[in-house]
Amino acid sequence: MNSRLDAILFDPTSIVPFELAWGWQRVLQARLLANPSGPEALLLVQHPDCYTLGRGASEQHLRFDPAAPPAPLFRIDRGGEVTHHLPGQLVAYPVLNLSRHGADLHLYLRELEGAVLDVLAVLGLAGERIEGLTGVWLEGQKVAAFGVGARRWISQHGLALNVNCDLRGFGAIAPCGLINRPVGRLCDWIPGLLPEQVQPLLQRALASRFGLTLRSPTLAEQLWR
Amino acid sequence: MTEGKIVEWLKKPGDPVARGESVLVVESDKADMDVEAFQEGFLAAVLMPAGESAPVGETIGLIVETEAEIAAAQASAPSSSAAAVAAPPKPPAAATPPVKPAAEPAPAATTVEASVAAPPAAAPVAAMSNATTTANGRLVATPRAKKLAKQLGVALETLRGSGPHGRIQAEDVERASGQPVSVPRVSEGSSAYAPAGAAVTVNGAAAGASPSATPLGQAFGSPGETVAFNTLQQAVIRNMAASLTVPCFHVGYTISTDRFDAFYKQVKAKGVTMTALLAKAVAVVLARHPQVNAAHSEAGMAYPASVNVAVAVAMDDGGLLTPVLANADKTDLYSLSRSWADLVARSRTKQLKPAEYSTGTFTLSNLGMYGVDRFDAILPPGTGAILAVAASRPCVVAGDDGSISVKRQMQVNLTADHRVIYGTHGAAFLKDLAALIETNPESLAL
Repeated sequence: MNSRLDAILFDPTSIVPFELAWGWQRVLQARLLANPSGPEALLLVQHPDCYTLGRGASEQHLRFDPAAPPAPLFRIDRGGEVTHHLPGQLVAYPVLNLSRHGADLHLYLRELEGAVLDVLAVLGLAGERIEGLTGVWLEGQKVAAFGVGARRWISQHGLALNVNCDLRGFGAIAPCGLINRPVGRLCDWIPGLLPEQVQPLLQRALASRFGLTLRSPTLAEQLWR
Repeated sequence: MTEGKIVEWLKKPGDPVARGESVLVVESDKADMDVEAFQEGFLAAVLMPAGESAPVGETIGLIVETEAEIAAAQASAPSSSAAAVAAPPKPPAAATPPVKPAAEPAPAATTVEASVAAPPAAAPVAAMSNATTTANGRLVATPRAKKLAKQLGVALETLRGSGPHGRIQAEDVERASGQPVSVPRVSEGSSAYAPAGAAVTVNGAAAGASPSATPLGQAFGSPGETVAFNTLQQAVIRNMAASLTVPCFHVGYTISTDRFDAFYKQVKAKGVTMTALLAKAVAVVLARHPQVNAAHSEAGMAYPASVNVAVAVAMDDGGLLTPVLANADKTDLYSLSRSWADLVARSRTKQLKPAEYSTGTFTLSNLGMYGVDRFDAILPPGTGAILAVAASRPCVVAGDDGSISVKRQMQVNLTADHRVIYGTHGAAFLKDLAALIETNPESLAL
């Protein structure tokens, strides 16, 4: 029922520092704010080690001194508590005009979860949602975290799916403010699984969930050279 | 979403805000939303501090147009938080005092009252609200009110606002312009085809007999303008476009309404509205025709557990809502009428919960109050059928026995999804509906 929507795919091959990708999202968001009928965008990246806090997040969930974090710490304009990014974790930032997608932030979160569940299904894994705990869970372990922000229904931030990342960095925080809820990664279910194998699945799942036709950016639309 | 937590006020009271600038951030679950100012001005007061949760539709802060108005707004507004919280010893006094002093000294206020006193509709509701409007001789009006005022040539200064804190609303402008306020902000047509009362405004105006000039039709923009679709309008676009994937057919019926009209006259005095009466009639018949209450789904024909009659309501700002009278077949007429009044009131202020407008199993669309003799309705997604109800008008009718008489008749037209509902189902439903309305409307009160 969704007509196919024009969307630009940005999938840099190298690891992108968080602040750079955040800047890109803001550029993309500003473009859509200026032209709400313009193309939407999907940014698929991996970040070097860092921690991010949602705007209303509590520093109580940090198990380190915020003045001296073990990796760069950013307080950013999304919902949710603290999370951790690192190589081996796929991060997807859809910059969408949500008024084309139901104009409902909760629905949007459910669709993002749905996309990850679709990916797991392709991999033969039965992920699940837990009512009231936004995220995607595999046998009680959280494999994907979500946090979004929107201005005039233009979204930024998104989801992080742990593929084969080192889980030790999560020990320094209570991810999403949840205690006694272990963090998991897909390679513990599918040994040898690599982010580059999961990325095309995630790309396809997001495109299909949101009815996007993904294409490369034109020269004018490039975020980097 | 029914409530949101205020994460952060990005502006402090007294700060200037530009149109489109973010004023605060609201969080719900793991999603943040920037809330922007729709108008340029100054943040005068924060009524709900960061960290607290507010239900959707709650007033959480005040924005005024000029720096000079900040003090007035602060003085008159926060009777809810500041005054109430700060002065627990003398509880009942808090509500009224901030109102009076602000309204009295303003010289503008007297002229306002005088000029507005003439139209009968202007009730003294606004007494406490126009404090901010007139205290400094400045105006607070919604963008739509301003636009309408320009279109209709109404001087905003002469108006008394009925909105929050004296804000001038679109209706205030319409009322002042002598527009038939018969076109309410939410035009749902509480009188289906109005045997006598409400339709008079429409007919009268059309015949040119009305004292007011020919009324202007509603438009969302001015000539020469292209206006971006708002969220509600985009939702309408999606829903309408979705209907193109549904193979629909139409089947119509002419129903005599003399007995129905007479019954309506009796129960009207008890607060029964035409919308409730029609919804009840449709629901009772739907309960006997479950096929017409069914809908297409991936899994197969879906038969809802209850009969929920949605009624299409056109919003002033271009949206189309379908508030739902749930279990209309099993709910008595008087409760239905009360529910409907409540739903309409809350749809004006956009305080309906999703379940209250998205759970309809069958939709009713009524344009009878405009005098139309027939129309087609477009099927809302997720349902199997919608009934278009036109005006009831006196007609010359030939009886089976060759007699000729004058009867009031209305046409109804069913739009149905042929994947689920077939011609015979629709026809049988309409036949029973006609029989109920023509021969036994009194049973609806039981």
